[in-house]
Amino acid sequence: MQRIFAFVMAALLLVAGCQAATSPSAEAPGRSAVETVDLSEIKRYLQANVQALEEAASALAAASDRYYALASEANFDYAALWQRRSAEAVEALMAARTAWMTASPLYEKVEGIVAGTPALATFDVILDAGASGEEDPENAAPIDLTLPDGRILPRPGNLFGVTESTLWGTDPDYVLADVTADWDGDGALGFGEVAPDANVLKGGADALYQYVVELSQAVEAWEPTTAEAFTALIVMTPTMSEYFASWRDSRFVAREASTQRDFVAISRLADIQDILGGLEVVYAQVRPLAETANPEQAAQIAAGLSALKSFVADIYAQEQAGRRYTPEEADILGAEAQNRATAITGQISQIAAELGIELVE
Amino acid sequence: MMRTLWRASWRWVLIVGLLWTGVSPASAQTSNVAEQVEALRIHLLTAQLQPDEATANLSRAAQIYQTALEESIAAAAPDVNAHILGAFDDARKALEAGNMVAYAAARAQIWTGLLHAAYRMATEAVDAGDKATAQQWLPVREFRHATRFSHPRADATLAIVRLGEGGMDAASVRQAVDADLLDAYQARLREALTALTAAEAQAHSVRRAELAGLAAGYFAILTPAFAKAKGEVAAEETAALFAKLLAAARNGESIQAFTPLVEKALENFQAAPLTPAEQARRAAQMVRFLALVPVEYRRGVRNGEVTVDLEIREAITFLEGAQAAFNDLSADLAALNADLTMQAHKGFEHLHAQLTAAAMRQAVAEPDAIQQAVDRLDADLRTLLPPAWQKQDSQADFDMIQAALDQMERAVAAGDYRAAASAHLDAYALLESGPEARLLAFAPQYIIPLEDLFWYGQGEHPGLAHLLERQASLQEIRATRSALDALLAEAQDALSGQSSPLAVALNASIIVFREGLEAVVILAALMASMVGQRRIYRRPMAWGVAAALVASALTWWLLQTVLAAFRGYGERLEAIVSLVAIGVLLLITNWFFHRVYWTDWMADLHARKRSLLGGAVAGQFLGFLTLGFSSVYREGFETVLFLQALVLEAGAWTVLQGVALGMIGVLGVGWLTFRLQSRLPYKRMLVVTGVLIGAVLLVMVGNTVHVMQLVGWMPLHPIQGVTLPYWSGLWFGLYPTWEGVGLQFAAAAFVIGSYFLAEAGRKRAVAGGNPRASGSGAPHQASRPVSGNP
Repeated sequence: MQRIFAFVMAALLLVAGCQAATSPSAEAPGRSAVETVDLSEIKRYLQANVQALEEAASALAAASDRYYALASEANFDYAALWQRRSAEAVEALMAARTAWMTASPLYEKVEGIVAGTPALATFDVILDAGASGEEDPENAAPIDLTLPDGRILPRPGNLFGVTESTLWGTDPDYVLADVTADWDGDGALGFGEVAPDANVLKGGADALYQYVVELSQAVEAWEPTTAEAFTALIVMTPTMSEYFASWRDSRFVAREASTQRDFVAISRLADIQDILGGLEVVYAQVRPLAETANPEQAAQIAAGLSALKSFVADIYAQEQAGRRYTPEEADILGAEAQNRATAITGQISQIAAELGIELVE
Repeated sequence: MMRTLWRASWRWVLIVGLLWTGVSPASAQTSNVAEQVEALRIHLLTAQLQPDEATANLSRAAQIYQTALEESIAAAAPDVNAHILGAFDDARKALEAGNMVAYAAARAQIWTGLLHAAYRMATEAVDAGDKATAQQWLPVREFRHATRFSHPRADATLAIVRLGEGGMDAASVRQAVDADLLDAYQARLREALTALTAAEAQAHSVRRAELAGLAAGYFAILTPAFAKAKGEVAAEETAALFAKLLAAARNGESIQAFTPLVEKALENFQAAPLTPAEQARRAAQMVRFLALVPVEYRRGVRNGEVTVDLEIREAITFLEGAQAAFNDLSADLAALNADLTMQAHKGFEHLHAQLTAAAMRQAVAEPDAIQQAVDRLDADLRTLLPPAWQKQDSQADFDMIQAALDQMERAVAAGDYRAAASAHLDAYALLESGPEARLLAFAPQYIIPLEDLFWYGQGEHPGLAHLLERQASLQEIRATRSALDALLAEAQDALSGQSSPLAVALNASIIVFREGLEAVVILAALMASMVGQRRIYRRPMAWGVAAALVASALTWWLLQTVLAAFRGYGERLEAIVSLVAIGVLLLITNWFFHRVYWTDWMADLHARKRSLLGGAVAGQFLGFLTLGFSSVYREGFETVLFLQALVLEAGAWTVLQGVALGMIGVLGVGWLTFRLQSRLPYKRMLVVTGVLIGAVLLVMVGNTVHVMQLVGWMPLHPIQGVTLPYWSGLWFGLYPTWEGVGLQFAAAAFVIGSYFLAEAGRKRAVAGGNPRASGSGAPHQASRPVSGNP
């Protein structure tokens, strides 16, 4: 009996002890993919564009400060401001618009990487993608905007959107509707000829600059991994549908019927090309790895990305040349872009699966 | 002659070279199939977008088909080939008539015809074990539309890679390919029908015709699966409906009359066969998501009013998750019991209507009413679901954990940290009551890192509980969540395939053995030292143990009912009971080393004041009873949780076998401890007892400090540069934190200090002439009792 007890106990101890000996590595589990691909070019691309973005955001903040100073000197009597110092006001606002139109494409060049990398994705929500609390409480940009006059705008949405809608007057809450601001002095009020609220503009521009600086710091600290590169490609390539939908609903297609406050200054088609350009940079770095799994498919992916970008570029070129697409045409083109994007994403997913790469969620 | 031979050889080289490079039409047709198909598709599209070059582009598309694809498709799928050729003809006529509406429909029919042909080529190649052909044609396919949050599957690709590689036979590969492709085309069909409704509303005739062509084409691919599910007659009738839909759209007419009929025909149709594992997973998701609906609802409603919108939205989210899983299973369930399936369907609809009405503040149902509705629906589902689908599914557990963490993030995004903390607790409770038991046995190295990330870890990523407490930004929380997701995925992988009955039984035995080891060593050691007059203290310890076992069983029952909502507080309860156990053990240790004093005191008091003696004895009785209870129950709560999870997974009998084995081991250790000590000389036995008590005390202190740090009741300061293997904590309570190691040192100092203080006291007493302070511990026995007679 004693021997039986001893035997059973020894067996249990042996089994339990074997856990320590034979279990997988006792070290803290971590990422299992071996990083053999040189991804430094992705970081360099990101750093270069974010640095330029920081300069443009700084210029936007500076121009907003000048407009704010003018408004402050007029005791925020905008009617008086536009009566007496409209030229200076217009100069400051035009400078702000120019800076904005420099900053926005620079961000779009990196959006594919920033939005597609979980470690950086929150910046995309704050800067470019986040809805307002009114539109989508669950997915709103997680910021409140504190203005110089002490007002707090709760969950106003992404900062490029706030500043764009203020500068071009597409959000009535951000402009002085009762002020006649004839920018070009032609006696008529065209699109964009508004008197922006200087507090909103300065608050938005300052916040935009602040988060761009934080993004820059986050990029410096970030080291891209293969998993993150594939994740960015798979997450961001299929977003063509939402971008084309934005284009269809924007003033570039819907004209006066558009109620969209964003994407009024620059056609979304230009943004799409910039995003795809960033994704091409990412893919170029992982392509050697993809070729080890399936050389043909790796080549098809590269060709597909390039063809998709050319497809969008062709539509944009026609738009810039004066062609006005109808909403139905925008839908058809958007469906085509989405189909191509899904096909490319599918191919990248197959390669990732064959390489055993786990996406970073 | 040499020159003749030289020319002859070159002639042969030329002939062979021509034969080699004169690629046969068949092989020319199948090389780079995906590229050829894509080129064809682009020409068709360009013909539509650039009307000036429409005819030329259509001709180029037709040429590609004829030279590169037709022969292969005609050989394998002549009906599809005929269909494609017919669609090309329709396209040509449409362009001749300048009818872009008809052209759009024809283009869609050509494209879906190509998809259909590729599906047939790939699957027939799989059936024939022809991997190369299958890999050639598989890339000619569509995926479900990808979004930021849902990514294309790679199941078909990976399955074909494994074809013939001993791991996957042709039938299994075929099933995986069908599941992937048919699922994608059914999703595309649904999207096309949805977009068709929008195009109809916007009067976009060209887009409407294209979408009608796509929908009809996708259905053609799905027809065999539809016929299998609903019968040939239904398949023919539905195909006829799609044909009418297409004809109407092609003619620029409204399709309003047809879309509802098509939707109705497609109800409860699931093209892609679910594997048994997928069926079980969806069943588990459905039941568990449903169970969370009344919990969330109750948190958001007070006195007939909605007080927290977020909770109502979460309730709706969980209900829709359950409903989506039900929809995926409905075809299979209807085959089992059509009436009950319809009843369950209505139950879901009714619940959805109630929650929506509450969300819109039109009619706010009482939480009890929602609970009752859920209970009725749950009862129907449990009657409906086959037993095999109702087994605990660890994969579904991980799905639920992710859902709870998603809920936590949404709450943080909305600035509601209270709701986020609640969701965080739910997520941890799901881990603890589900996969953690199996991780303990099969992949214990994940437990500590997971706990750190869930609670108060201070490593590369701070723990979620810590972040929520200080209301950290969403960015920080997402960073930790990302690390946690990666770790959960690894843990999930580690656990997959560990569900055999033997594995589960072994799992249960190891859990019972490990959790019971501490308690049984200390109890056996103490009992062995209780000889002579102190023998009476064995009984209260045994009573305490018995009470703890009863309490553990009661806890099991309560967890099934009332306490399910309190699962997240397992660690807190363990911490409280552990503190009691340590406190009592310290007292016992103190008593143990001062036994002479107590013995002498008892002897004197016994002679004079029975009431005082009675009071002291009662105190010791209570002490040993508490020791017996707390030693066993502190492990009982968690053991019960783990065993529950295993019972749900593998059944009670399998788990009971494991428990029995574990108990044998535990009792065996206890008996060995008792016997070994009994054989020792008395004093040495006391020393061994003291050492064992001290060792157990150290382990208990280490584990209790760890638990208290987990729940935030004690600060956590890691010892920098020190890394210990996971089993040092698991078995010895040794964790590299200053608090843990420091308090273990303090406990050791207390125990050792108590001994030396007692010895010093005894020596002083002896020196002072008190003969009873001899250190014998058994005042009526001058020597060790007879061996074998405790």
